[in-house]
Amino acid sequence: MNAAIEPPIIRLVDVAVGFTGTAIMSGISIDVARGEIVAICGGSGSGKTTTLRTLIGLLPTVSGRIELEGRSLDLDDAASLQGLRRRYGVMYQLGALFGAMSLIENVCLPLEEFTDLPRTAMIAIARAKLALVGLGDDGHKLPSEISGGMQKRAAIARAMALDPPLVFLDEPSAGLDPVTSADLDQLLLTLNRSLGTTFVLVTHELRSIFTIANRVVMLDARSHRMVAVGAPTELREGCADPWVRGFLKAENSTQLATEAISAEKTRATS
Amino acid sequence: MSSSATAELGAFATFQRSGANTALRLSGRLDSGGVVQAWPTVLEAIGAAAKGTLRVDATEVTFCDGSGIGLFAALIVAWRTAGGTAEVSGLAADILRLVDVAAAVKPLQEPAPTGFIVSSGIATIAMVKTIRDLVTFIGSVILVFVPALLRPWSIRWGDALQAFLKVGVLALPVVCLLCFLIGGIIAFQTIGPMAQYGAKLQVAQVVAVAIVRELGPLITAIILAGRSGSAFAAEIGTMRVTQEIDALSTFGLEPVRFLVVPRMIAAMVATPLLTAFGNLMGLAGGYPVLLANGFTLAQYTGQIQSILTPIDLLQGLVKAFVFAVLVGATGCYCGLRTKEGPGAVGDSTTRAVVAGIVLIVAADAILGSFFHVIGI
Repeated sequence: MNAAIEPPIIRLVDVAVGFTGTAIMSGISIDVARGEIVAICGGSGSGKTTTLRTLIGLLPTVSGRIELEGRSLDLDDAASLQGLRRRYGVMYQLGALFGAMSLIENVCLPLEEFTDLPRTAMIAIARAKLALVGLGDDGHKLPSEISGGMQKRAAIARAMALDPPLVFLDEPSAGLDPVTSADLDQLLLTLNRSLGTTFVLVTHELRSIFTIANRVVMLDARSHRMVAVGAPTELREGCADPWVRGFLKAENSTQLATEAISAEKTRATS
Repeated sequence: MSSSATAELGAFATFQRSGANTALRLSGRLDSGGVVQAWPTVLEAIGAAAKGTLRVDATEVTFCDGSGIGLFAALIVAWRTAGGTAEVSGLAADILRLVDVAAAVKPLQEPAPTGFIVSSGIATIAMVKTIRDLVTFIGSVILVFVPALLRPWSIRWGDALQAFLKVGVLALPVVCLLCFLIGGIIAFQTIGPMAQYGAKLQVAQVVAVAIVRELGPLITAIILAGRSGSAFAAEIGTMRVTQEIDALSTFGLEPVRFLVVPRMIAAMVATPLLTAFGNLMGLAGGYPVLLANGFTLAQYTGQIQSILTPIDLLQGLVKAFVFAVLVGATGCYCGLRTKEGPGAVGDSTTRAVVAGIVLIVAADAILGSFFHVIGI
């Protein structure tokens, strides 16, 4: 008996994503537990960002079901969707900070809209959140006055403004140098361990995946399907799909093709 | 001597002060909802007593997220800024570490209020800089424009034609419509007073002079500023934001020759033509009012011919040409001076339209006076 099992914070049941009813990726099923860090990974054009846009309620699913904290993500139910959206934060690939607002104002915006905090409290909380991402003394700056890496960190602070239990990140390491990228990974780990925040990130940065992800969802652009889900090291060493193993070992396409052909031959002879 | 005071500060905080020592016990959930309740009283109490040592006991805090961390950090920063020391205990080690990180910021410096003299000085310097930039820009346009006209093959005629289509052809319906209506309005508003002097037919002369000398070029130029000046600023401004102008420069291509000259040529050719059409439609607009008062078309055109001279027409077209130069140059200048950020293109567009219209009206006044002085 295990009646007290907590429901997954996000559940995908045979989800297909795409545009105007045409699926570009299908068969995505996963339960993400609270406090997990899950990476959605795949090659270029595999539909990672489309999957993320579907998860955050910007695109309808082609088929299947998405549940957030046990509630169905229904784009036609505006009131319910608005409530659900307060339960997660999103960091966009380029930060998407509001250029006319300072960093503090960017972080304060959700607090102004969705809480009754007094102004001084909002500013203090915004500064604290910026400090957690290493930008405590840069709050008065405009996004155009800081670097790309700093913009991404500020975007994380804004995504966490309302302390959502779940944060989605789109390519957090893209365009960053290895040191800044590693710092960002450490930041996510710290926030995850200290505050218990669940992170779902879209990335193809293998180093980030092996550093921070508890599990990785592998999307295959050739078959347009989710082909594997599991711990990154387990998939790299023991996944039945040679493409997944090769991808996680960062092998090049020729090596991947050779391995796929030999696997096919092995299947044919057995 | 030590004094002691205890106060209940809502459900989430207990405050106790003893001499130089202050103790604060927080309890319950410190999420955004909890902080909303705790914040005013806690900060008020702490603000009043921010000296000596503050000990914050968080043993009974059952939950603490980023909002709670913000509360602890603000307490520590406020206390430290007032010259005291603050320490927090009873939190999980991970959270405590985040509180330390969040509290390690410099006190927020509110910008000092700027006095009238300083503000005036800043505004004056900015205005002088803008005028200097504008003069530099006009100089660079002339430096590129004149040699380009001497070597017509160096002009990007394709771009100029494209711009002419937008500035001229596509603007024709709205210019014609507005001039027609304005002609009708002038006739309608003046025929009453003119009737008192038995001069209803002379309304045609009023319409002709007002439209051809003044309103035809003015309305056309204002439409030009709204449609094309703003479009120039937006197009070139977007190119500035997306670094396309930097790319042109690094290719060794002069942005003024590449972007400004074709647009200026389009505006300078299209505006007098549009004005001519506008004049015609303005004159046509006045006729229905006179027709309704029993006058024939021959009477109407006769009155127009009796008052208008080729000089009047030329005067209007010269004005239109000058307005085109001003609007085109202002639009391109604002576009090229676009700053960074998502609001920058909007700002440039607004500046282009406002400055364009102000310059049009100012130039109209100057040209009107000039024509009067030289007696035409």
